[in-house]
Amino acid sequence: MTRLETRDLTLAYDGPPVVDGLTLDLPDGQVTSIIGPNGCGKSTLLRALARLNRPTSGAAVLDGEAVHRQPTKEVARRLGLLPQGAQAPDAITVEDLVRRGRFPHQSFFTPPTDADQIAVNRALELAGVEHLRNRAVDELSGGQRQRAWIAMSLAQETSLLLLDEPTTYLDIAHQEEVLELIRYLNEHEGKTIAMVLHDVNEAARYSDHVIAMRNGAVVALGTPAEVINPDTVQAVFGVSTEVITDPHTGAPVCLPCGDESTAACRMADDCPIALAAHDLTLAYDKRIVSAGLDVNLPEGVITAIIGPNACGKSTLLRALSRLLSPRAGQVLLGEDCVRDLGRRGFAQRVGLLPQAPAPPMDVTVEELVASGRAPYQRWWRQWSDEDETTVEAALKATGMVEFRDRTIDALSGGQRQRAWLAMALARRTPVMLLDEPTTYLDIAHQVDVLDLVRALNTREHTTVVMVLHDLSQACRYADNLVVMKDGEIVATGHPSEVVTADLVRSVFGVEASVVTEPVTGRPLVFPRNAVNGRYRNAIIEVAPDEEAAPVAEPVLSGAN
Amino acid sequence: MSAYVLPDTAEGVTTASTRRLKSVRLGPVSFRLNVRTLGLIGIAFAALVLFSSWALTLGSFPVPVSGVINSVLGRGSDEYDFIVRTLRLPRLLAALMVGAALGMSGAIFQGLVRNPLVSPDIIGINQGATAVAVFWIVTGQPVGMLAPVAFAGATVTALLVYVLSWRGGVAPSRLVLVGIGINAVAAAGTTYILVKYPIERVGSAVAWSAGSVYASTWDDVAILSIALLILTPLAAILMWHLRILQFGDDTAASLGLPVEPTRLLLVLVGCGCSAIAVSLAGPIGFVALMVPHIARMLGGAMTGSVLILTAILGALLLLASDVVGQHFLPVSMPVGVVTAVVGAPYFLFLLYRANARL
Repeated sequence: MTRLETRDLTLAYDGPPVVDGLTLDLPDGQVTSIIGPNGCGKSTLLRALARLNRPTSGAAVLDGEAVHRQPTKEVARRLGLLPQGAQAPDAITVEDLVRRGRFPHQSFFTPPTDADQIAVNRALELAGVEHLRNRAVDELSGGQRQRAWIAMSLAQETSLLLLDEPTTYLDIAHQEEVLELIRYLNEHEGKTIAMVLHDVNEAARYSDHVIAMRNGAVVALGTPAEVINPDTVQAVFGVSTEVITDPHTGAPVCLPCGDESTAACRMADDCPIALAAHDLTLAYDKRIVSAGLDVNLPEGVITAIIGPNACGKSTLLRALSRLLSPRAGQVLLGEDCVRDLGRRGFAQRVGLLPQAPAPPMDVTVEELVASGRAPYQRWWRQWSDEDETTVEAALKATGMVEFRDRTIDALSGGQRQRAWLAMALARRTPVMLLDEPTTYLDIAHQVDVLDLVRALNTREHTTVVMVLHDLSQACRYADNLVVMKDGEIVATGHPSEVVTADLVRSVFGVEASVVTEPVTGRPLVFPRNAVNGRYRNAIIEVAPDEEAAPVAEPVLSGAN
Repeated sequence: MSAYVLPDTAEGVTTASTRRLKSVRLGPVSFRLNVRTLGLIGIAFAALVLFSSWALTLGSFPVPVSGVINSVLGRGSDEYDFIVRTLRLPRLLAALMVGAALGMSGAIFQGLVRNPLVSPDIIGINQGATAVAVFWIVTGQPVGMLAPVAFAGATVTALLVYVLSWRGGVAPSRLVLVGIGINAVAAAGTTYILVKYPIERVGSAVAWSAGSVYASTWDDVAILSIALLILTPLAAILMWHLRILQFGDDTAASLGLPVEPTRLLLVLVGCGCSAIAVSLAGPIGFVALMVPHIARMLGGAMTGSVLILTAILGALLLLASDVVGQHFLPVSMPVGVVTAVVGAPYFLFLLYRANARL
């Protein structure tokens, strides 16, 4: 008997059911993660558990009674929910926000009591945001803000806590910060926690119980070691992976298999320079982001620019793509200074995929891809045979032929991103710049997009420069890394030379061990300062140079 | 294993031209046209000609269709010629061209702001012209100068909106907010003038601000034709650029489009269309808002050819409204009143039906 469970739960939004006849238990006193591809119904399920969605049939059951038959306040006294991407009103302070968590315990006629203030103080302390209590929520960093929201849920003093994607939009350090807090709340406060995560490895590291969903049904559930295996991941996300065991924590780590045949190691040193920045000073209005940047981006190579949130990596990309004119210094494209190139001339040589672009919703995929030909067209010369063949080839190469007449709003996130890549492809530029091409995508779509980038690089010899925020992806797909922190370039070179535990600590502020993946020879990063409690004994200090020590040899439990 | 191999050629793929879009090529010149839209334009134009011929027969002195056609073609009898060519034709042509200009102006602004609820009447252009024109009328200035003065009012308002929205570039959402602010100021100014000046002068000002093509002359028609001859091709060409601009500023810039100059040009053409219409016919509401919707529902996303369709539909709508206001109501009504009475409920209906799309 568990406190929170579902009985034959069916959920729908005016259409076919999103969750169909689901019966499952959320074990008391444990951390449960719900994973699955975008649109598999995991957030919908969480919302139903918190009484935000009314089931079509069946019920979410809390303490033996259907959640939707209980009054909201009654549910809120026993169960806290942190919705996805929660928004606070401007300028509300952390303490005010946390105080709102007391709402279920108050009413119009019972004003706040001392007990409320005590609960608020305790929540602030638990979430580690006590020192921030008088700060405005919108001034905080991503990690702090998420902790403030968790504090609000804590003030509800519920023993059940539901969290919807608490780590999305955060960089690696802030993700660890939040997940560590969640782990702590479970171990020291005895909270039962259920959270939706989109990162399989986070789920593996931080939960006791994993529920893997696809198309509204549960594919597998159990401990991370039981659930995270190549077959399940294949069944859930439709992506082939290797699963290895993190030598330090014992948690399974899932590595999506890219296209290994093309993932050959290419050394960047001997390549000519495609794009370079000399003594670049970049600023928005009066705020200087970077000063004196020097960077060389080799031709025909995938370069990834990495660094924590707000380190100036997107700003650098904007300068390279001529969207931001540098305050000082210059950007060189081959031999030419970018400033002297014509708008169209530049557009024929350098393509850009901006971060989270928003086209009008009535545009079809084909139109979007065709607009990639704009640098070669004039209003009186709208279409040529070359345009035709290039657009067709781009649609085919990205697997978008069958979607060509669909409008953008009818596509999933991954398909949408592929459509944009097809557009970038149709431009046939020797250099392509991508700003966070994998954000908002689930693991299968991420691999999809990065494989495509890799194929493009291999086949067309396109120089790719992309901003990534996932360190492991950058190590896996890039031949050359540019690591940035606080607007400065800290290191450049091949991932195997650049990525060390020291670098991860100094740049991202996360303790991690770095090991070499046996198949590709590329580094793997395992964050580990978060592994409190049970895994603590397993941690063995490994100096960055001693990665080859036997303990660090990952255990292959299966390859595709 | 490798899912994505870039094909060397695009063999065996259905080409776009066989499916939907037709490429028309003449040496270095090539256009991509949607055959269906061209068909729609043809149908709409035929409907326009038929409806216009019929509209010319209406009036207190009925003229048969044959008489109308002969008069228009310049081989009619004198008795019909005076009625058709001097009394009815200028009003009809003015209605058609004002409608076309309003339709195009609405299409441009809705595309620019990427919001289907925007039109030149909402961002203050009509109201600016009205404020100036009302002042001109109530202070008893020469009536012959009314059109140029209203045009100046519309243009100055538009530029003011543009300049006040400028902050290192014009963000479309700011353009709308500033426009709504300016609209409120101009409306307040108009009300102030109407309240302050003696009632007998205010009457004709109020009549003007209802919007009407009554008493249009051949001079008005000439001005409208010249303006539209310049603005229509320009607007149709700019739709090509607007389509790229709609992908977002960053994408458009990276595709080699000069973002801000293009936007300025679009604002100028949109304002030009709106200003010429308001200066000759007064502020006629709802046409600019409604017609682009109808055109998009029929012809799909806004392109140069859909813009032409918008212009024809605008002409049709305004003419129909004028015919209704003039002949089919117990009291003759200015066309602006009819478009508002017909337009507002129809627009609500559209919103209700297309709820999901907005």
